[in-house]
Amino acid sequence: MTDLGTLDYIWLGVLAVFQGPEAFSLLGLPISVTVVMVTFGLILGIVVGATPGLGSVIAMAISLPILISVFGFNSDALLPVLGFLIGVMKGSTVGGAVPAILFNTPGTPDAYMTTLDGYPMARAGKARKALRISHFSSVSGDTFSDIVLILCAPFLAILVEAYLDLPEKTALLILSLSFIAAVVGGSAAKGLLSCGLGLLAVYIGTGEDFYPRLSLGAPALSDGIPITAAVIGILVIGAIFFELEGLWHQSRKAGRIEVTRDEGDQRLHWADIRRILPYIGRSALIGTSIGALPGIGSTLAATIGYATGKRRHDRNKAKEDPAFGQGAPEGIAATEAANSSVSGANLIPVLSLGIPGNTAAVFLILAAESIGGLNPGPAVFKFSTEQNPELVIAFGLFTTMIIANLLNWTVGGAMMRWLGVLVRIPKHYLLPVVLLLTLTSLYVQETAMSAVWFGFGFGLLGYFMKRFGISPLPFVIGFVLGGRLEATARQAFSATGGDPFFLLKSPIAAIFILAAVAVVYFSFRKPKAANP
Amino acid sequence: MRKLSANTALGLGCIAVALVVAFVWIPLDTDTWLVERKRGKYIIGDSLAPTLAMGFVLVAGLLLLLEKGESDEYPRRDNLIFIGAMAGIGIVSLLLMRWAGPGIAALFASEEYRLLRDTAPWKYIGFVLGGVTMIFTMITFVEERPSWRALWIALVAVAGIILLYDVPFDDILLPPNGDV
Repeated sequence: MTDLGTLDYIWLGVLAVFQGPEAFSLLGLPISVTVVMVTFGLILGIVVGATPGLGSVIAMAISLPILISVFGFNSDALLPVLGFLIGVMKGSTVGGAVPAILFNTPGTPDAYMTTLDGYPMARAGKARKALRISHFSSVSGDTFSDIVLILCAPFLAILVEAYLDLPEKTALLILSLSFIAAVVGGSAAKGLLSCGLGLLAVYIGTGEDFYPRLSLGAPALSDGIPITAAVIGILVIGAIFFELEGLWHQSRKAGRIEVTRDEGDQRLHWADIRRILPYIGRSALIGTSIGALPGIGSTLAATIGYATGKRRHDRNKAKEDPAFGQGAPEGIAATEAANSSVSGANLIPVLSLGIPGNTAAVFLILAAESIGGLNPGPAVFKFSTEQNPELVIAFGLFTTMIIANLLNWTVGGAMMRWLGVLVRIPKHYLLPVVLLLTLTSLYVQETAMSAVWFGFGFGLLGYFMKRFGISPLPFVIGFVLGGRLEATARQAFSATGGDPFFLLKSPIAAIFILAAVAVVYFSFRKPKAANP
Repeated sequence: MRKLSANTALGLGCIAVALVVAFVWIPLDTDTWLVERKRGKYIIGDSLAPTLAMGFVLVAGLLLLLEKGESDEYPRRDNLIFIGAMAGIGIVSLLLMRWAGPGIAALFASEEYRLLRDTAPWKYIGFVLGGVTMIFTMITFVEERPSWRALWIALVAVAGIILLYDVPFDDILLPPNGDV
């Protein structure tokens, strides 16, 4: 057997994408299923991003069971399914700007700042130009972020494998949980509460004893709560209830959607690009740095990117140029580059540490766990001389991201400009349909009515959490990581001969634990206003 | 008497829940303690992880009592009416979805539902009745009036979901047919 080096693995990853099972041939050239799935995912992502009330999370929740039914539970299914989900993730980041610019309605929460300059531009007859600026900035930020991911994730994983043993890994998981709990949402206390409830939920019906703990003797609880039911219930169904209530409170009269006719030059010239490039660069850096930290969302990146861009624009703008908030192309560029550059960097903690940083990453982990053959974490990046199939998949995943970006650069912009019509779908018709679709997809995946009841119940819990100002994300991350945290702690405890202070014996583990306490303490001392 | 703020009430609730779960539910409903001795070695018992989770909730409750300057968010009467209605609609619809098919089969079919669950039209009865009820009633509640449009949307959406999941795949069963 030939020894494999880094370049061999990269090449094997590329081949796994392009030489996988063939979907069809184009002019004699075989097109692989993975490439087709990335394309479909991207198109779906742009469509759901452009539809207010929908989003990448709903699209992923509904498509996952269909994808698993189509591709089955084998390692050949990994790249098409994960490629599709990555397509959805990337498509939705550009799609969210469409209704924000055309109708002053952000398609996704992180596109809110885009409305501030995009809509005034559209009203001034520059809608298509605003869409072009948004597309260019968004895809630039995303591409930058992917490059950072591809360069950083393997190194971080190698460092983790080299220096962290079981106690340190346990301490790192605790640090990640407390960091997410402390920084997501408006208060550290509510974040901790959310995280604690997620951990409790995942421990029901599991454990190592013969009797499934905390199951109250009920058969439905003794197999544990299905992860899809908890995640989809809290994130998707809770959000549907919350949004539907907003519509109930409104007059529910959609109102006439005002459409302004485009006037003048709508193209994006080199001069325009030169003008917005400094804003894209800064925002891409901000978004990537924020995205690399688990739990901090693209909404915060967009806000900081916009604020930083505004300061620069106020200093440098000519008198006749519009200010931020009055139709400045730089405002759109600063926002879109920042929120899009979060998506790639968000995968750094997933791929290198196995710690999901956002909801899209949770679905990638769900897909990998359901199908099998890939356990995201530091072990993936073992550059062994004998072929490590997980590493090939990881480089295949990077290849799908590059394909999605290329597609976004080429066809994404044109699609964005066609999709303005989606904003006219009344949300109070759409959301109940999406609810039934989500519950059906849950059933299809779990084949048990108990999963549907769990999903619905967690949806109600998700609604109440939102009403109390508690972010559901720490709950979900706690649920996803809880099992691994317990298993690693058990192994570390046994390996240290039952030492009760195993988390404080090694300096690295002790630093992680101290940091976990410190991050909660400092976050508690300085409460934040926004709830992403 | 001074009125409790929502954060204080939530904090007290968290502390109460954490203590009850940690000292009542976990000990009564788990086989092993925090740490167990097995074959001369100490191992972590099944109680430890959920107890630590409740530690998180307890700390959250204490911090909520101390936290200042937070917005006082909690569900108001309107919110409770809305979510109560949604819960009611959801429960009725899911019960219809689960039991309509077996109920109608018991009345009109010669075989039991379990044997008919992959045969049209029986396999669609529960999903169509439950699904249409869910969508139609939710739209009606939000619009505060029933409409033919809402009914048509519900019917078309249910038909669309059947086309999406049931028609193309032989191995997928619509709810509740996989586990009746």
